[in-house]
Amino acid sequence: MLYDVRLTLTYDYDAPVHGGRHHIRVAPTTVPGVQRVIASSLSFSPKPHRLTSFVDFFGNTVSDVTFVEPHEKLEVRLTARVQVDDLGQPADLSASLDQLGLEVARYWSVEADSPQHFLAASPRVQIVPDITEYAENETAGAETVLAKAMALCLAIHKDFEYDPKATDVETKPAEAFNLKKGVCQDFAHVMIAGLRGMGIPAGYVSGFLRTIPPAGQARLEGADAMHAWVRVWCGTHTGWVEFDPTNAMIAGGDHISIGHGRDYADISPIVGVLRTHGSHETRQSVDVIKVE
Amino acid sequence: MIKRNSESRSAPPQGPSLISDYRLLPGVPDEMLDPSGALRPGWDRLMSAFDALGSTELAARFERADQYLRDAGVFYRKYDGAEGKERAWPLAHIPLLIDEAEWQTISKGLVQRAELMENIVADIYGDNRLVQEGLLPPELVAQNNEFLRPLVGVKPASGHFLHFCAFELGRGPDGAWWVLGDRMQAPSGAGFALENRVATTRALSDVYGEMNIQRLAGFFRDFRDHLFVQAKRDGGRVGILTPGQLNETYFEHAYIARYLGLMLLEGEDLVVEDGQVMVRTVAGLKPVSVLWRRMDASFVDPLELRYDSRIGTPGMVEAVRSGSISMINALGTGILETRALAAFMPRLCKHLLGTGLELPEIATWWCGQAAEREYVLDNFDDLMIGPAFATTLPFDDLRGTALGASMTAGQKAQLKDRIATHGRDYVGQEPVRLSTAPVYADGKLEPRPITLRVFAARTEHGWSIMPGGFARVGSTPDTTALAMQRGGQAADVWVVSSAPVEQVSLLPQEGDRLVRNSPGSLPSRAADNLVWLGRYAERCEATVRILRAYNARLAELSKPDLPILTRCAEFLESIDVDATEAMPQGLLMSIDSAVHSAGQIRDRFSPDGWLALNDLQKTAQRFATRIATGDDATRAMTVLLRKLAGFSGLVHENMYRFAGWRFLEIGRRLERAIQIARITGWLTDEDAPDGSLEMLLEIGDSVMSHRRRYSVTAGTQSAIDLLVLDPLNPRSVLFQLTELLTQLETLPGGIRDGQLSSVAKAALQLQTRLITAEPQTMTPEKLDEISSEIGLLASLIAAHYFT
Repeated sequence: MLYDVRLTLTYDYDAPVHGGRHHIRVAPTTVPGVQRVIASSLSFSPKPHRLTSFVDFFGNTVSDVTFVEPHEKLEVRLTARVQVDDLGQPADLSASLDQLGLEVARYWSVEADSPQHFLAASPRVQIVPDITEYAENETAGAETVLAKAMALCLAIHKDFEYDPKATDVETKPAEAFNLKKGVCQDFAHVMIAGLRGMGIPAGYVSGFLRTIPPAGQARLEGADAMHAWVRVWCGTHTGWVEFDPTNAMIAGGDHISIGHGRDYADISPIVGVLRTHGSHETRQSVDVIKVE
Repeated sequence: MIKRNSESRSAPPQGPSLISDYRLLPGVPDEMLDPSGALRPGWDRLMSAFDALGSTELAARFERADQYLRDAGVFYRKYDGAEGKERAWPLAHIPLLIDEAEWQTISKGLVQRAELMENIVADIYGDNRLVQEGLLPPELVAQNNEFLRPLVGVKPASGHFLHFCAFELGRGPDGAWWVLGDRMQAPSGAGFALENRVATTRALSDVYGEMNIQRLAGFFRDFRDHLFVQAKRDGGRVGILTPGQLNETYFEHAYIARYLGLMLLEGEDLVVEDGQVMVRTVAGLKPVSVLWRRMDASFVDPLELRYDSRIGTPGMVEAVRSGSISMINALGTGILETRALAAFMPRLCKHLLGTGLELPEIATWWCGQAAEREYVLDNFDDLMIGPAFATTLPFDDLRGTALGASMTAGQKAQLKDRIATHGRDYVGQEPVRLSTAPVYADGKLEPRPITLRVFAARTEHGWSIMPGGFARVGSTPDTTALAMQRGGQAADVWVVSSAPVEQVSLLPQEGDRLVRNSPGSLPSRAADNLVWLGRYAERCEATVRILRAYNARLAELSKPDLPILTRCAEFLESIDVDATEAMPQGLLMSIDSAVHSAGQIRDRFSPDGWLALNDLQKTAQRFATRIATGDDATRAMTVLLRKLAGFSGLVHENMYRFAGWRFLEIGRRLERAIQIARITGWLTDEDAPDGSLEMLLEIGDSVMSHRRRYSVTAGTQSAIDLLVLDPLNPRSVLFQLTELLTQLETLPGGIRDGQLSSVAKAALQLQTRLITAEPQTMTPEKLDEISSEIGLLASLIAAHYFT
């Protein structure tokens, strides 16, 4: 499938900002065999004093922008054309939980894709006993890691209400879990916490979701904003599989990936340091249009 | 060496020898006595010197050491509640003596260990062969908060990760030294070691002079040279990066900065421009090429490390990546402090260096491995159990680490369950016992457990080990290492040579080229604090003078509603001071603000000045609880005025006339000009009550000059002339402006190509207006206007130099 992606992030500041520096992670990335970026362009208003980029530990491309002139508004605009292949549901040849434990223990690597990075608490995902217990109960009947991940993904979709007003970008997994409400970021964090609590390596994916629903189907929630889902290591044989708890599905042809990390903190769209005393308001608008 | 007359040395001691009462603990090695009870090398001389001094003189000597530490303001900050309190440095007075031969064994072992650590960390952030080859469990890296992913693959600009390390050592029951822990992130204590040495030799200078004790200065000189050689290569400055004055060991950061001539920098002093770290100075941005980091790595860059850090510099990691800054030590080296790593050191040493560890370390079992987990569960009672990923030393970890046997049955069961399911989070460690050394208490010697803290620095000739300086001394005779959790004291460590030692000083040696650090490197933040220190000190003085005049009249007339008193009280209210309070809160706050500003720049003025300011604060606080208005308060204000003068004198007479002093002076002049202009306006308007003029002259400290200059024509005009327009009266507004102008012209960029800077021009305009003004034009409104314009000048200075 071929998509055109358009994103605008707008920051309105109460008081003029005297310079600032940001790390921005919003551009789709090429994932060999799954996703290919055909064209991508990122622009800013005001014009940055300096713009460089680098690749972070997990392989995500980061734009490093510096502003020196005072400004009251910052706009980040992305346009991209991306080819995504739907691999379909993988056959479940994944390991059992015990087997997975052994495979992790034998995984002698700390390279970026190693499951070792995705087992412990990370900056935004704590291991919460209540969530672990929930995950264990909801996945008790599933034999394999893939089945367990799917069971948890479905359970969160069933038990949680999509409610953008209930949480914000700082909400911790435990709070969202108690509320049983939130948005894609919260659902992803809760699912990651549950999986790691059971010893299953899990990480966070940031990306976009296609806007226009296939004929006769309901519009997918979260499509008018940036999206997030979960990647799960299902053992040496199956490797990483991506699940979208917001939409109760395996991420496929509708999901356009920007990049991934242990949690939101590793792949947040914008990290910044401003010289200001005021607060700000953020808006984002996203369009994902299927070209063919 | 000069041999002292043996006659005088063997003078009969007053009473029995100190060591006759010293009782060894059974089965515990002692640093002073060997197992047969004989004094070890060096101790014999120290003890006979003590005996010769006698207990009275000895106590007086030790008091001298404490006095020195108090006078020098040596403190550390201890956080046991929300607020950290400054604590006096707890010096155990008797130095710990270690024989040169033994020290060599320790040094050799630590050089090996430093080298091993360098190899390990280079691999963790480099090729990761240790993990791939199964020598280092991946969990210990990938699940470790000290593993800083943005630094993976980044080679340090200097070629090395480690430059300054510390090791904690203890002597086990078998008499051998053991490594208890490694400090690799940003080790503290080297400055305290220096202060231990200065204080101890203050008490025991004669003994120290006679024994061959290795000096510490050479170690610091070599390390400083190492820092400057790196900086020279890049042409930038060398600084110490401190988290700021609320840090536990801020005193030490300021002390070392002063001692080695480095800039003391906080995150906000720095800015990264195009990948280059720059320091904001009063002369603009200047490049920095070496930072001796005393801040935990995760805080140094809010963009790439901890997003919530408020003490970092955005872009610092980028600067590291681009190779434009050398971090001492490299970001990420904290991972080497991980407790579980100890379990793998023997194996790593063999693999990386092809030989065994020269100094053993505490036997450690990481519960992430099945066999080791079983061992820990089976021997639970006999082991110290603690967090695998902790980076604190077991005996600094009051909450997390305990001996299995010391837990309740419930705690044991819970922890054992946890270890069974989450083994990777725990380690079991052999509960080390320590040796003892004597402390002096109530005129007697008593054995207390000790650990050594030994520092290693990279120099141009390889690793150098600081010869002594720092031991920790337990507070009870309990010699299990964990007992050190209960705190204690610090002692100097003397490495005793058999031959005379080289005398070293940090002062340039003959033949060294004299290098003067050029001025103009004053960080903007320090300059800002200096201005505020000057302003607050001056504001205190103005307030104290007015309060004294007010209370003296109150005592005399005992009618608080007298118009002159009301007028005065109204003025005080305008500066947030309540005249009905004998020691007004507003004044106490100004004093606190002065202390706070001074606290930010401890490296920039003398310990005496700092002590004088603290003394002023304490005195004022004491007064607040006991004095009444009137006579009482008048006397109290006189005392405060004297103490303020003492502070100003110490600072102004002793501070080198660098840019720093100029900013302090600018603050003082600004504030004095503002205060005098305002009070003159209040007390000279048409309906000013009776006695206003006398009061004004008293506040302006100009009664005598007024009488002398205007004996016949004394009146409002003459008072205004003297306090506002007189170029020779050091209290007049004009005098302040003239001084200000002088400072502004002398500052960096004050005059460029014959042109005054914009700030100096503004000051000149104001000054010119006063020079040409007549007293009768100086109405209260005009004076008000002048004081506002001086306030504007202060903002201009801030905008010009501090942003």
